[in-house]
Amino acid sequence: MIRKLLIANRGEIAVRIARTCREMGIEVVAVHSSADRDSEVVRLADIAVNIGPPAPRRSYLNIPNIVEAALQTGADAIHPGYGFLSEDPDFAEICESAGLTFIGPPPSVMQDMGNKATARGLMQQAGLPMLPGVVEPVRSVGDGQEIAADIGYPVIIKAAAGGGGRGMSVVHSAADFSEAFVSTREVARAIFNDPAVYVERYLAGARHVEVQVLCDQYGNGVFLGERDCSLQRRHQKLLEEAPAAHMTVAQREHLGALAVRGALSVGYTGAGTMEFLVDGSGEPYFMEMNARIQVEHPVTEMLTGIDLIREQILIAEGLPLAFGQQDVRCSGAAIECRINAEDPARGFAPTPGRLDVYRAPAGPWTRLDTGYREGDQVSPHYDSLLAKLIVWAPTRDQALSRMDRALAEMAVDGPGLSTTVTLHRALLRHPDIRADRHDVQFLDREMPSLLASAAEIHQQGPRVPSLTADVVCAVPAPAEPIRLRGITPRHTIEEVTPA
Amino acid sequence: MTANNTIPSRNGDAPGAAALRPTSDNPESMLDLRQEVAELARTLPGDLRRIRVRGGDREIEVEWADQVRTLESVVDQRTTAHPGGTGHLTTAVSPPIVDDAFTEVRAPLVGCYYAAPSPGAEPFVRVDDEVEAGTTVAIIEAMKLMNPIVAGESGVVAEVLVSNGESVEYDQILLRLRRKEQAA
Repeated sequence: MIRKLLIANRGEIAVRIARTCREMGIEVVAVHSSADRDSEVVRLADIAVNIGPPAPRRSYLNIPNIVEAALQTGADAIHPGYGFLSEDPDFAEICESAGLTFIGPPPSVMQDMGNKATARGLMQQAGLPMLPGVVEPVRSVGDGQEIAADIGYPVIIKAAAGGGGRGMSVVHSAADFSEAFVSTREVARAIFNDPAVYVERYLAGARHVEVQVLCDQYGNGVFLGERDCSLQRRHQKLLEEAPAAHMTVAQREHLGALAVRGALSVGYTGAGTMEFLVDGSGEPYFMEMNARIQVEHPVTEMLTGIDLIREQILIAEGLPLAFGQQDVRCSGAAIECRINAEDPARGFAPTPGRLDVYRAPAGPWTRLDTGYREGDQVSPHYDSLLAKLIVWAPTRDQALSRMDRALAEMAVDGPGLSTTVTLHRALLRHPDIRADRHDVQFLDREMPSLLASAAEIHQQGPRVPSLTADVVCAVPAPAEPIRLRGITPRHTIEEVTPA
Repeated sequence: MTANNTIPSRNGDAPGAAALRPTSDNPESMLDLRQEVAELARTLPGDLRRIRVRGGDREIEVEWADQVRTLESVVDQRTTAHPGGTGHLTTAVSPPIVDDAFTEVRAPLVGCYYAAPSPGAEPFVRVDDEVEAGTTVAIIEAMKLMNPIVAGESGVVAEVLVSNGESVEYDQILLRLRRKEQAA
């Protein structure tokens, strides 16, 4: 039984976790750096402990201080959130040996999933579809060229220890292979301290579709629908949505079943995400597994009504899943926009500074997860995620309109501060996105026109026309209702008919 | 508490580990090292099980015997001293002192504060004691490692703000020192 939980994170995810703890009657211990001593989670927590100076290496990554803070405050569990120590098997192990329940999978499973090559090998054994390529790290340029010729160009060279979109290069012809191979290895060595790379077929025009799974400690697993996260800038997600409406219901159910099979085959427990690339015909290929809660988890929460942090905690306590696959109902459509303190016009350079104006949107089915309040400083020491804006609606078109309305309500301003808000409004207006026919390269390809469109929206200010029926009518309604396993949607057809 | 009492100190993250490093400038001298380790073993509180000294990256790992009785009794003292739990951690940061006649000794890490080298022993310092830069004024136990806390400059102890066995957070003020010039 978890009575007091330490949150080893900051910002919106720390606040998010604290809220569920509050609802469950669990006491909250917040740990913070000196820069975050007046942050929102510190205000919400029962106990707050300063664990070090602003630099993450000396605070949020400082394992001795975090574990000691847990022991001194009498916490019985640690939730790592995402980023920081969330995928560090050593941290998970140290927590366990200190008698603290780590909210996450067993350290050995985390270790296996953390290495892309190992994870690919295990998932291939479990029968998951793989892109043509190799599982083992490629040792030399010669070996790599042979493999690339075998699987056919274009290929992608990926760092085995990679993540966050760094350490991968696409090669279109044999002539470019050698240079790309050497440079990717160098990048992998520099960033991840591990030069191992592998080579696989590169899919053009693919979608990024990921499945949220929950597994308990007794071999039960369910999937909570999927999320489409194809809108990425240099492999950094910007906008996520669910369901992946471009796939058929049968394809989505098949994908979910594959994900659960893969997760259970390695003894995974807790909340996890299986990431796939899906080609134009809906065929999935396994990419990697994320052994933690993800930034975009609220999309799934809105779609299913299931609190993922709560489920993580219950599973870590050793409780069996309280529901089976047939009880998981996905209804409607949900979208999340990441509001970052970045200037899209300057290559997404972070814009730290003071939030002189910071007003959250509200209204029907509108959720804002943030760790900041008006007047707070956005520190240059941490990532630039200010807030996540999530909306739900019975249909995708309605959700797009609702998101645009909510973005228009959001007010963020401060000296030197820029955000991704107007870029999101430009995205929502793009015909390819409205028609759900974009792919994972869309953002990088269309960025110049999107930035121009965002600048126009910014100039128009309050006179920007809202996204309504005329655009909705231009897009055909989805051929199939959005649901899983033949469950009747909670919302009737009358409600969803556009005017 | 667990069976595993050994937590190696990490480079840079545990200032106490640095303070425990042999001060000898001649690491080849085994005799010096032996004396240093013997001295360390004598001064460390609690029942020691093992001390490991590594030359290369200069690391000292101390392992205490299981069920460190001496520490437990101190921990008990803490819980009775603060029946309301450990909420005092939130109010730990005192406002900065404007008077530059004073200087502070702050906690460089999170842990448990001990005023004396062992339970029942004389405290390292009391109010009105004179300290030099480098004088050990307290110990903070973290991850089963005893980290000596030293004064950054010389002065006279004006105030001790933490009681024995209390939990401290990073940057918390432990002691105030009156600067020497003023005291003289």
